[in-house]
Parts: sequence; C-alpha cells; structure tokens
Amino acid sequence: MSNYALPEEYNLADLLCCASSREVQDNEIVFAGTGLPMVAIMLAQKTHAPNLKLIFEAGTLDGRPPELPTSVGDARCESGASRSSGLFDAFSIAQRGYVDLGFLGGAEVDQYGNLNTTCIGDYLNPELRLTGSGGNPDINSFAKRTVFIMVHEKRRFVEHVSYITSPGWRVKKWPGGEFVHRKELYGAAFRGGPSAVISTAGVFRFDDQDGHMYLDTCHPGKTPAEIKDLCQFDLDISRVAGETNPPTREELHIIHNVLDPDQIFIPKVKKA
Amino acid sequence: MSSDKRITLQQAAEIVKNGSSLTFSGFTIWRRPFAVIFELIRQQKRGLHLIEVNGGPQTEFLVGAGCVDIWESCWVGHELYGKYGANLSRKVGKKEILVEDYSHAEMLFRFTAAATGAPYAVTQTSLGTDIHNPEYDMLGRAGKRDGKRIAKHKYIFTEDPFYGAGAQILIPAAKVDVAILCVQQVGEEGTVRVGGQIYSDPEVARAADITIVMAEEIVPEEYLRRNADQNTITSFEVDHILECPFGAHPTGMFGKYDVDGAFLKDFYANTRTQEGFDAFAKEWIYGLDHIGFLEKLGWERMLNLRANTALNYRPRK
Repeated sequence: MSNYALPEEYNLADLLCCASSREVQDNEIVFAGTGLPMVAIMLAQKTHAPNLKLIFEAGTLDGRPPELPTSVGDARCESGASRSSGLFDAFSIAQRGYVDLGFLGGAEVDQYGNLNTTCIGDYLNPELRLTGSGGNPDINSFAKRTVFIMVHEKRRFVEHVSYITSPGWRVKKWPGGEFVHRKELYGAAFRGGPSAVISTAGVFRFDDQDGHMYLDTCHPGKTPAEIKDLCQFDLDISRVAGETNPPTREELHIIHNVLDPDQIFIPKVKKA
Repeated sequence: MSSDKRITLQQAAEIVKNGSSLTFSGFTIWRRPFAVIFELIRQQKRGLHLIEVNGGPQTEFLVGAGCVDIWESCWVGHELYGKYGANLSRKVGKKEILVEDYSHAEMLFRFTAAATGAPYAVTQTSLGTDIHNPEYDMLGRAGKRDGKRIAKHKYIFTEDPFYGAGAQILIPAAKVDVAILCVQQVGEEGTVRVGGQIYSDPEVARAADITIVMAEEIVPEEYLRRNADQNTITSFEVDHILECPFGAHPTGMFGKYDVDGAFLKDFYANTRTQEGFDAFAKEWIYGLDHIGFLEKLGWERMLNLRANTALNYRPRK
C-alpha cells in the first residue's frame, strides 16, 4: 500500500469511495444502495474482496454488473447475477440474517448513529419533508454492520435528529419512547449495528459498550479540533488513530477508468 | 375468450374511481405505468389513496396534479435525477396530503400479507425508530382507521409467543382496490412474463382486488404457455390487459428502453412550485394522448433510449 496518490491526484469523492471500499471484507454479503456506495463496493470486488456477494435492494442477488448501474432497479444490475428476483427475496434474505454489511446515508445523524431521512423539524409540522425511509431502517435493523456516508456539516451532526428514521445504538422503546440500547430492544434479532461513519471530514466509529460515536481518523488536512467543532454533540476525540489513508493509484485507476468512466457518481480531478 | 380482457388506456383509467386505493408495478424509476398515470391526470381523478411499496416519479405526477389525498409508503424521489419528491414535500408542508410512513420492508411485507390472504405480517424491522412512534399515526390522527379498507391500527407491538425471540411488530395487510402494472409481455388471457427484476409485481398483483396489466406487447397466450416456468403472474390474477408501447416512459423497462433521465431532471427542476407543475402538465399531459406524447418526444429521443436486446440495457459506449 505504498502507492498512495498525492493530494492533487484525487478529490473528496475518491477519498470517500476508497475509505468505504476498505470497510468491505472478502466473502461478505453486502447490500448495495444507489450512488457512491455502489462504486465503493464494486471497487472492493475488484481489489481486496473478489468473493464478496452483492445484493441490490430491488431484487438482484449476487450480482456482477459489467457496467455501473445508475440505481438498484437498473437493468444493468442483473447481468451475471446468481438470481434476478424481487424485493421479497432481497428483504427476506436480509431479515433471515444473511447480510453482513450495508451502506447508508442521511440528512442528519446523532452520536448514537440514529439517522434521519424523513423530515427536518417537527414531523407533524415539518420545515421540509425529505425522501422518507426507503430501505434505510431495514438494512440498519437486519445487517451485522452498517457504514454511513455523510456530507459533514454542523447542521447534520446533531444532538437529536428531527426524526429517527433508522436505528442506531440507542433507540426509542415504544410506546413510551425512552432511549434504550438496541440490544435490549432487538432481542434474538440483534446482530450488530452501525460500525462506521465516513464523512467528508473523517472516519468515525462507535464504542463497543454504550455505542457513542468517536473520531477514528481525520481526512488529510483536517484536525480533531476542527472536526469536533463540526458536530453539535460533544464528539469523543480521545481515540484518534491518525489520518485516513488516501486512495492508491490503483484504486483511482479502477474508479475512473473501469467502474465510472462517465463520472456518473464520482467526478474526476480537474487538471490545473 | 381471448379478447375479453382487452381494454383501452381511457377505460383503464376509468376503472380507477375518485377515492380508490391504488398501487403500481415497478421500482422507483423503473416500469411505472405512466401512460395510465397521465390518463388518470387527464381524467382529473380526486381523492386517490396511493399505497406503494416505494414511490417515484408516478407519485410526484399524481400528487402534483392534485389527484392524491393519502400516500402510504416509504420513499419518493427520482434516484440520481432528482433527490427528493418536491411535489409531495410541498403538499405535506401545506397539509394538503396525508402521509403514512412505513419502512420499505414493512411495505413489502404488508403487500405480501395481503397477497397471501393474511390480515397482517410480523417483522422485526425498524424497531426503535419514529416510524413506530404512536404520535405519528397520521391516518389514526385523521380518524380514518375504520377497520374496513384502512386498518384499525398502524401497527401493534407484541412479543414472539412461540420461540421467545422478543419484540415484534405486527403490520396490517395492504388492502388496495386497483393495481396497475407495466410489463414487457402479457398473453391474451392475462399471463404475465416480466423481464428482469420482478420487484414486488407478483405481490401487488395478487393483493389488489382489480389488476390491470399494460404491456409493451400482447402476445399469443400459447407462446407464453410453452415455457410456463418463465412466467411471473397467473392468467386469472389479471382482470384487464392493454397494449401500449413505451407505456413506462419516462421510467425505464428492462430489455426495452432505459430511463429518460433528462425528462425526469427537467420535471424535478421545474415542478418545485404548483405553478411550475401546472405549466409542465399543460405542456406534457393535457391535450395530448399517448401517441401525441410520443410524437412530442420525437424519434431521436426514443431511439436513444432503446435497449440493446442482447444486453437488455443501452450501453453507454
């Protein structure tokens, strides 16, 4: 891994894509969403995780698309797949416990990894209605690990999300709504939970015991203090392991010449 | 017998009454029955109750046109061609529509329950989220839970009584009046063969009281019955059929044509306001029929969307 690219050879999307790809381990069953995560997973498939199995939410199982799909319903998904099927298979396989890893994102995240993709402001009188949950809570409930990819802005890393769309490590126990550790609520269905947040500022992980988020690595050029200042909650910066590894030249070649030559999801570095 | 099920686009839309509950084939921006959607808008349907496994451009068009009073689903947007459903968002802000949020798997399992004739499904998804917040039962708050077509409860919290596996959620079967599907092939007697991912088409077709199938082509029933193992939906589950080439446009269809991303981007960019929507609808829906719509799109545009039949999509190079 000595072939790291220099800062002028990559951009932030490349860094997020490569950091995401490195979360994937070989032989894992990975649930793919649309966009950058799809490129990241396919990058892993072409580098360190050639035996990973890809599930597309719309119903393709163990897919090996030769050309990057633009969404999980895309006709490109099923080329080379083990099976082309539907949502019943995708979700029942997930609920059955096959899925190791899923990639998610959201408009807001709190320090326990609760995500919001539903609305900004009071749900009953929202300032802005967003897309809604999609499969976000389902993957977060069923997968052993999930990784969030987030734009890092102070308004997005909040003390309390407007609406918990997708469950983190401390969640609401209904009907009362008091916060409990997810293990307490999920019982026999507990398999894990959020394992990392990859933001445009750094990589964050969650404490094994109480599930709070801590800063693991800072992206090149960022300091722990700067990143702490980009969170509304009191970010734990006591366990910083160093700097996020930049993309390698091989990874950049695969992203831009093999997977996404048309820059559908990952723009190329503009030459000065 | 063989022509009994054939109807026209106009008749398909007439089957949907004001106040009907309605669902569709497809997934986000793929295989949505747009030719019928546009006809529903032309016929100025009102008070529709959409129950969708997931939403998409079809939701946005019907909501923007004022056809929809209730939307039960989990997601709306245009994938990479528009990041959220701006028409739904605007109407939620103005309280002109009721939205009932479930998770994606919950919506799928609700249709699966209905398709198996069960009154409800059980799942462990989304525990601990605000989807299960009792304050956020919007149909309940609106006094619409009559226990007939709309379930008495949004969900019920329970515990596994058989194996002691802990917390479970019961969610009601999705009862819908009409399902409108858009597929590649239907036989003269109604047998459906879907190409590519089947999404949740078999479940929604079986769940609905009336199932209408719009296909790129109606083929001889005998042709489909030569390879029954490749068929997706049974003849007698389908009540009405119609042939309508490019009926899914601007959404895509496996093996036939790709998504018209430029059209969706244009729609998303220009329909943030009601005035914007009305102008878009005036240009692309009102006063046109399906042929008029295709003529307006033009040969060049449609040929550039056409899938390669060996690959089932249009290669970028």
